[in-house]
Amino acid sequence: MATDVEGRRYRTWYAMLLRLYPRPFHARFGEGMEQTFQDLCRERLDAKRGLFGFALWIVFETLMGIMRENTIHMTQLNKTIRRAALVALGLLMAPLVASQFVEDWHWGVGGFVFAYLMFFGTALAYGLIARTMGEWAYKAGVGLALVTGFVMGWTNMVHISESENPANFIYFGVLWVGGVGAWIARLEARGMAKSMFTMAMALALVSPVGVMLFPDVRSEPGQNLMLVRGVFVTLFAASGLLFRHASLAGSK
Amino acid sequence: MAKNDPAQAPLTPAVLHILLALSTEERHGYGIMKQVAADSQGKVKMGPGTLYGSVGRMLEAGLIKESDQRVDLEMDDERRIYYKITGEGQAALRAELDRYRGVVAVAEGRLSYGN
Repeated sequence: MATDVEGRRYRTWYAMLLRLYPRPFHARFGEGMEQTFQDLCRERLDAKRGLFGFALWIVFETLMGIMRENTIHMTQLNKTIRRAALVALGLLMAPLVASQFVEDWHWGVGGFVFAYLMFFGTALAYGLIARTMGEWAYKAGVGLALVTGFVMGWTNMVHISESENPANFIYFGVLWVGGVGAWIARLEARGMAKSMFTMAMALALVSPVGVMLFPDVRSEPGQNLMLVRGVFVTLFAASGLLFRHASLAGSK
Repeated sequence: MAKNDPAQAPLTPAVLHILLALSTEERHGYGIMKQVAADSQGKVKMGPGTLYGSVGRMLEAGLIKESDQRVDLEMDDERRIYYKITGEGQAALRAELDRYRGVVAVAEGRLSYGN
């Protein structure tokens, strides 16, 4: 007759089997499936029925599910990659056309390839992150954060190449804060909101930190810089509010 | 009829049974399975693979939503995610039952004509 020990052993094996699901699916339903499997085993044990044949059926049934979900996941992934590639191509048209009309625009092939990769990376990141939650506010929050981060990173790169001011590297630190925050939050809305607010705060502190780290480098004054930084801070904070909205909507 | 409207699209047997199970109250995964077995007098056997695959697609389509995570006092001290039917889910269930009624009406008409 089956025992509790046997039931626990089967649960452990079942938990290992569940790891074959695509990662997002496993993160969302793995624990629930494990619990359900244990409930079913307990039901069999209470009825004093054997577990082996039952566990075999469940494993077979779950394997079918694993194949189905992996197929769907791969299809969706390919679709996301194709869409990101097309969106990046569309965005590349802007500098490509503009370079024909602006005299001082001297990008080589490498410049356009680099721009395409940046566009593609951002679009792909949006496609992969935004699909983790159906809530519109979450998708809007991801879009706003990525576009703001992209524009800030891009303008900063241009600025560094022109001014060679090392203090500008601090802006990449702000992006790094957002990346680490998203990783710690595991892309969950509530944690993402905190990450965005932290990014906004970090960006607001760029000037004092720059003065502390690089006291010898003359800081670039000007209302324009303050204004642009203020806009970025506002946009990151707005993205945080969208994530917060998504978090509250999701918990209702 | 909107092609992608989940409330109007025909439902798979698994989705229909899950919606039926959730039509009366919120349930967790095992609770849904038990209710499906009871509703079908044990004729429908749904494993965790089918159940959670369907639940994932139903969540995406907005037919059901996660309610909250709490302990089932009748079972153990593990916290479980409960699922509940949405307005769209109820509309989809009603539309599916209307389709079934239509099919039954046609079938009964043909059978009585055959006799």
